[in-house]
Amino acid sequence: MPVTLKLTKTKSTVSLEGAIDIATSAELKKVLLEALSAGKKVSVALGKATDLDVTAVQLLWAARREACRLGVEFALDGQELPEIRSALLESGLDLNAISGNV
Amino acid sequence: MTTKGNIDQFRQSFQEEARELVVDLEAALLLLNENRDDEELVGRIFRALHTIKGSGSMFGFEKLASFTHNLENAFDENRNGRFKINSELIDLTLAALDQIRAMIEDGSSGPVVDDAACDQILSRVRLITSGRDSQPVEASSALATGVEQTLSAGLAQDVTEWSIRFAPGPDMMQFGADPLLLIREIRQLGSLSVRASMAEIPPLGELDPERCYVSWEMVLSTASTRDAISDVFIFVSDSCELCILPITTQEAGKEPCAGDLIAAGLEERRSSSGGRRPYDKADNATSLRVPAAKLDQFVDLVGELVTVQARLSEIAARRDDPEFSAVAEEIERLTSSLRENSMNIRMLPIRGTFEKFRRLVHDLARDLGKDVELTMEGVDTELDKTVIDQLSDPLMHLIRNSMDHGIEAASKRLERGKRSMATIHLSARHSGANVLIGVSDDGGGIDVEAVRSRGIERGLITADAHLSESETFDLIFQPGFSTAKTVTDVSGRGVGMDVVRQSVESLRGTIEVASKPGLGTNVTLRLPLTLAIIDGLLVSVGDACFVLPLANTLECIELSAEDIEKANGKHVANVRGDVVPYIRLRQYFNVRTERPPIEQIMIVETDEGRFGFVVDQVLGNCQTVIKNLGRFYKHVQIVSGATILGNGTVALILDPYRLVQEALKNASVNTRLPGAMAGARESVGNSGSKWSSAVR
Repeated sequence: MPVTLKLTKTKSTVSLEGAIDIATSAELKKVLLEALSAGKKVSVALGKATDLDVTAVQLLWAARREACRLGVEFALDGQELPEIRSALLESGLDLNAISGNV
Repeated sequence: MTTKGNIDQFRQSFQEEARELVVDLEAALLLLNENRDDEELVGRIFRALHTIKGSGSMFGFEKLASFTHNLENAFDENRNGRFKINSELIDLTLAALDQIRAMIEDGSSGPVVDDAACDQILSRVRLITSGRDSQPVEASSALATGVEQTLSAGLAQDVTEWSIRFAPGPDMMQFGADPLLLIREIRQLGSLSVRASMAEIPPLGELDPERCYVSWEMVLSTASTRDAISDVFIFVSDSCELCILPITTQEAGKEPCAGDLIAAGLEERRSSSGGRRPYDKADNATSLRVPAAKLDQFVDLVGELVTVQARLSEIAARRDDPEFSAVAEEIERLTSSLRENSMNIRMLPIRGTFEKFRRLVHDLARDLGKDVELTMEGVDTELDKTVIDQLSDPLMHLIRNSMDHGIEAASKRLERGKRSMATIHLSARHSGANVLIGVSDDGGGIDVEAVRSRGIERGLITADAHLSESETFDLIFQPGFSTAKTVTDVSGRGVGMDVVRQSVESLRGTIEVASKPGLGTNVTLRLPLTLAIIDGLLVSVGDACFVLPLANTLECIELSAEDIEKANGKHVANVRGDVVPYIRLRQYFNVRTERPPIEQIMIVETDEGRFGFVVDQVLGNCQTVIKNLGRFYKHVQIVSGATILGNGTVALILDPYRLVQEALKNASVNTRLPGAMAGARESVGNSGSKWSSAVR
């Protein structure tokens, strides 16, 4: 599954795998809402993602803003993805702006 | 929700559009070959290549996108005035289109991509476009080294700064377009700074996950024109908000203000479209792309409905129940409208089929060393899709034959006082329930004597046979018949014209050939407008029912014993002073029941003039679903097919044109009787038993 959710006592981990695009965006939204509703720290693991399109980026952006509103900690894990980050940066989309802890 | 199924559907839809674009490209290239300074054509070619590239890339046709990109560059170079179009570039691009076709099919059908040929084409294109003596070395080398360097070459030219605002519409991503790819493409045009605005992203719970809420503000420094920039967005122009404005030199000195740019962009948008965004327009979906198979199924169902409706009307007529009859009549009216509409949906203009032959004529002219132009007439004439689909092969063979055998070498044409450039003319026009497709050339014409000698040599006719000109021309459609002394790649094996005959006959059509020595040949294919459902007139002869196509029928008059006596037994009727010959279907089909005292003559219009068909009774109009009679009756050409009537019986659908042809043919063969009218009479008597089995 490209989008999975793991809930523990302290953290909700959303793991992304492969290409995360419009084909998986509905699933990603559902999982992010579920993760946020748990009220614990939300961590999005990007390590196995190979590509993120604009629908994925705007979902992560909206999720971070929602986390901020709820006072929930939100972070992106997967700093080791320079290719995805630079490809997004070329289009003016900065993952670093999402990944900062709230 | 976007699923794999949707993506496959988008791919298929891209493939369909790309196929159409390739046809358009081919036509534009061939027109450009005749008028190499036509900037509009170059723009059209560039845009088509650009769309194939852009949308190909979106739907995963990477190889296609990359290949097309290189071709597109060549035309962009020309558009920017950096080199002139020549015939080699056009030939190479035509050859590239063959490869593009294979790439579009993606190995699912048709030819496979020849990688070596692709490389060869691209390297030749690069050589041509870089061989600009008057151009600086830096600029010419840019294209030769591919995609990346177009950017640096561009920067060496007159660079302009452009502000670009791009906001995808609500459904842009659902069409398979990816804004990031478009921005990447813009980046290839020059130096780009880009800022994404996330301000429109709604709260997570309200966010539509398949819609793009991000918009972009960009500043691009490039030598490319505004057209080149907007061409990047050509495929999504209806589903996004786009504003491209030049930043003047004075303003270029200071940092462009995003707010100003957006305001300026919005102002331009408002002034050009009354404040409406392009994707807001109400006519976004005025046409739909529907698979042909679905359409065929729809027409089949309408056909079944027409048959059932006929049955309902028959039952209603037998019962004396006004309420029931009213409903039956209403259903008949609605079915008739439905039939007419469904048939109209299947009608397509012949333009696409004709345009395809520009390439054939261009290539053959080059191969044969002849100078030939293709002219067209009646390209908007509409025909049933099934007929159009089966028309390509016969037309191709006729054109090949004309090019190879009909049109003389340039020197011979000049000797004969003709223009060195020969003409092949394709035409289409409606004639009653038929359409006439003409292929004519201004070549040397058919050598009647050569055809005759070859016919004798092949044992098709005896040495003392007296054939009319049209009968002699019929010989060329015999299998394996050819008068060519040598077999070429183009023709000469005697296969082509046989294919023409078979294809046209399978469409229930006929072929007429006219030729004048030294002046040219004209082949006319007479084809039915539709192969599915027609409006007919139901007539009876004895116990048998027949259908005559309504489109051919002019009027109906009575034929009494007195009228027959007045004509001295000849099969002619006096129609308001005009003598009209007629054929008695009773005799033609050997119907042995007693003749009614007053019969009816259905007067029909044919190319041979007006003819009458004598029947017992005219039963009325009927919508006729044409059913094929099958292979067993394939040689019964006077019958177009059969239909099932409301009472469950079968009626034959007659082909008036063929009936008349048959009668005239018999008249000319039978020299015992003078005149065509008497011949028509004789043919009725002679042929009766031949068709009687088909009636039963």
